Amino acid sequence: MEWSDIIKRLFTNKLSVFGIVIVFFFAIVAIFAPWIAPPADPDEPYDIPRSGWKIAPTPPDADNIFGTTEGSYDIFYGMVWGSRTAFRIGFIVVGISTLIGIFVGTISAYYGGWFDEIMMRITDIFMSIPFLVAALVLTAILGKGLDKVMVALIVFGWMGTARLMRSQVLEIKAEEFIDAAYALGAGDTRIIFKHVLLNSIFPVLIQACMRMGSMVITAATLSFLGVGAPPGYADWGQMISFARNWIIGAQGNPLTYWYTLMIPGTAILLFSLSWNLIGDAFRDILDPKLQQK
Amino acid sequence: MLMMLGPYQRVATYVQDPTQLKGGDLDLLINKYGLDDPFYMQYGRWLDGLLHGDLGWSEAAGAPVVEAIFDRFPATLELAILAVIPVIMGGIWLGVFSAVHHNDFWDHTTRVFSTVGWSFPTFVFGLIILMIFYGVLGWTPPGRLSNWALELKNTAQFTVFTDMNILDGILNGNISFALDSLRHLVAPVFTLAVVWWAFILRITRSSMLETLRKDYIRTARAKGVKENIVINKHARRNALIPVVTVAGPMVLGLLGGIVTVETVFGYRGLGLLAYETATRLDYAGILGIAMYFGGILVLINLIVDVSYAFIDPRIRLE
Amino acid sequence: MIDLSKEKLIDVNNLKTYFHTEEGTVKAVDGVSFEIYPGETLGIVGESGCGKSVTSLSIMRLIESPPGKIEEGEILFDGKDLTELNQTQMRKIRGNDISMIFQEPMTSLNPVYTVGDQIMEALLIHKDINKKQAREEAINMLRKVGIPLPEQRVDEYPHQLSGGMRQRVMIAMALSCDPQLLIADEPTTALDVTIQAQILELMNSLKDQFDMAIMMITHDLGVIAEVSDRVAVMYAGKIVEYADVETLYADPKHPYAWGLMHSIPHIEKDLERLEAIPGNVPNPLNFPDGCKYNTRCPFATDKCRTEEPELEEVEEGHYSACWHVDKLEAKKAEEKSA
Repeated sequence: MEWSDIIKRLFTNKLSVFGIVIVFFFAIVAIFAPWIAPPADPDEPYDIPRSGWKIAPTPPDADNIFGTTEGSYDIFYGMVWGSRTAFRIGFIVVGISTLIGIFVGTISAYYGGWFDEIMMRITDIFMSIPFLVAALVLTAILGKGLDKVMVALIVFGWMGTARLMRSQVLEIKAEEFIDAAYALGAGDTRIIFKHVLLNSIFPVLIQACMRMGSMVITAATLSFLGVGAPPGYADWGQMISFARNWIIGAQGNPLTYWYTLMIPGTAILLFSLSWNLIGDAFRDILDPKLQQK
Repeated sequence: MLMMLGPYQRVATYVQDPTQLKGGDLDLLINKYGLDDPFYMQYGRWLDGLLHGDLGWSEAAGAPVVEAIFDRFPATLELAILAVIPVIMGGIWLGVFSAVHHNDFWDHTTRVFSTVGWSFPTFVFGLIILMIFYGVLGWTPPGRLSNWALELKNTAQFTVFTDMNILDGILNGNISFALDSLRHLVAPVFTLAVVWWAFILRITRSSMLETLRKDYIRTARAKGVKENIVINKHARRNALIPVVTVAGPMVLGLLGGIVTVETVFGYRGLGLLAYETATRLDYAGILGIAMYFGGILVLINLIVDVSYAFIDPRIRLE
Repeated sequence: MIDLSKEKLIDVNNLKTYFHTEEGTVKAVDGVSFEIYPGETLGIVGESGCGKSVTSLSIMRLIESPPGKIEEGEILFDGKDLTELNQTQMRKIRGNDISMIFQEPMTSLNPVYTVGDQIMEALLIHKDINKKQAREEAINMLRKVGIPLPEQRVDEYPHQLSGGMRQRVMIAMALSCDPQLLIADEPTTALDVTIQAQILELMNSLKDQFDMAIMMITHDLGVIAEVSDRVAVMYAGKIVEYADVETLYADPKHPYAWGLMHSIPHIEKDLERLEAIPGNVPNPLNFPDGCKYNTRCPFATDKCRTEEPELEEVEEGHYSACWHVDKLEAKKAEEKSA
């Protein structure tokens, strides 16, 4: 299918448009963060400013549009810069792990033989480890911190892409080699690579889309558990760990502090949902069986 | 076999690091645990311990790792069983239903639910449930048991058979105990199940849709087979084959979910232990747990492989 | 020759099956009428997309609806009109009075059940027998279709059998309940030529054994010649010629059929080029006005482009839907004298 056709269809599917709009919204917030929520200290923009030292969260008011969470951290600020963090995590983790996956999958399928066997065994080994637990172990070793979390996510996140890429390449390898052998004589590796990559890239892209959402969720979970972003860092998951003690609310009104949970929680949900919707729509568009109608 | 290698391999890398990180600190401790011995010696010692059933001492639990694990295991098992059963039964049934009523109102609803469920971060969902059903309604408190039940459990009047509270409650003839335990389990089970329910539903649905397009379904109809038999006998079994394939990775994710859910709900099981050991940098503890989980995974994968052969005769005969 | 005085087994009148898709309405079958007499083989021949499969699926009421629908027409069988029966009633007929076999034996059998299971299924649904008897009958059927060691094969899975054997199993399954009509949709197209011959022979002998009629659908003129008693030639959703087999091959009276006959290379003739009918089958979403064949017909006139011809009897038992049969006859005479 032509790219222009794909783009057009992406924009006509209601759900995918919804997804695109949300991602776009978050992107705008992330890009214009310094203007929307100017940092107190320009060198440390990810430190959420505190309007005091109160333990209990305060509801939205004139000073803090979204209220403050435990320790008087401004929620609004956290949300704005949190979107930057989310995109950072998403792009870096998904970007790098996808590249690793593409690389491993392609050369493994291309060269085949014992090399392929070994690579697949290694992939299997990595795949057989419970993701969150492995990430926990890795951060226990490397220490806490968002960058360590990203390393953990990358280290344990490339396998799916590798497998997918490998099966795509194998499919094409079966077809193209025959043609290539005749047409190109000596077999131009570069042309084959380009052709192979271009054709196999779509399922990988779909997968990458979905992983944008799931990676951010996992990173948020790790931050929530306390092994990711440090306290006071502008990360949605981290902000929710502040909310933990307050979700039961105050005397008489259990929902007093709903905003400490709901606001960052909704952000994570929407971020992930939108990428999933885009990925879903993408997949439906590229599904050859649905095209035949 | 090779998956056994997994946990070991991981451990090999990690055991090396503690030397770098802890070094400098308490020299006594280093000497005592032989942490400045060359890596292969440490690894060898660890393996040796493993073979003797000794995984070291967990600071976070204040007990030998092995003991801590076995102490917490039944709680997690109870949680897992209660979650997995509705996930598999419900997810598959709904997936089939949704595929059969393709593009109906119901189908669209289930699809939306499935996508949203998959996008919902477990811990947020758990917290919301806690907020509403405990904070507002007081129905589902955190932890495993209410205070009165906990007290009762520790007395001689109550025999602990399995340490799985609902079961024990029934076996002791104490229904209110069992019910109390159930009350504490509802929320974590639900939270754990939702995400994976959405996942199974999705996979089952798409697999079922594809299967219904196959030629042999047309043949079955041409024989005069009733439609519900076509769906349940002819289509479903074939549609389940790819679902079984993802069962393995699903369990993987489920284990991660267990950590989150237990932490959110203060449920005293392996997941919570994992959290405690990880945040306190208790290496022996977290490694032990990771190993244990790895072992469980191997077991699950074995079961999956066996059921594969059960469903698909083509695999059986190889 | 068939006894045309007997009661018709199945009588299709003006069948119209349309598919309502997003891109438009596809008139897959547009006013098709034919009969099948007991014990005869009616061949339905035509290119891909001419509507022959849809016709057979319409008779079996297996059309997926939506988007398809039998808009008009009647299918008279056993004193009933099949278009008016509900699914429960149709199910009693399917596999029992009318059976169908399909093109792809590789994918038409369920891979997770044994061959015997699948044959027994039809028996258990339609006949009042127990499992043991059904199993014996299944073994019996396997023997009748020429599968060696049937007692062993009955417990095997489809993937353990070759394509030819699978098709035999399909036939066994279809014939197990002793149907009066067997619809065969391209049964040999996916098979090797040698196996093809075997299967056709098998079908012919079984036809006599079971005293049933066959509706043979194919695009292969050789197959038609070998098994049919009478033939209906379909093009773009309509029957354009209808005659008994010898007459059709010797003396076709529709330009399309004539063109088809011409394109068969003969062993005795010397040909420099293969003669094919020029052009392509028109897009079903965009059929031309008038006679659907006018875009490819050497005798087409303005009348052909505006008015659609009906099937008319041009000689006894021989029907053609063409305005200019006389022109065709002239051309044939010309060729003969050349």
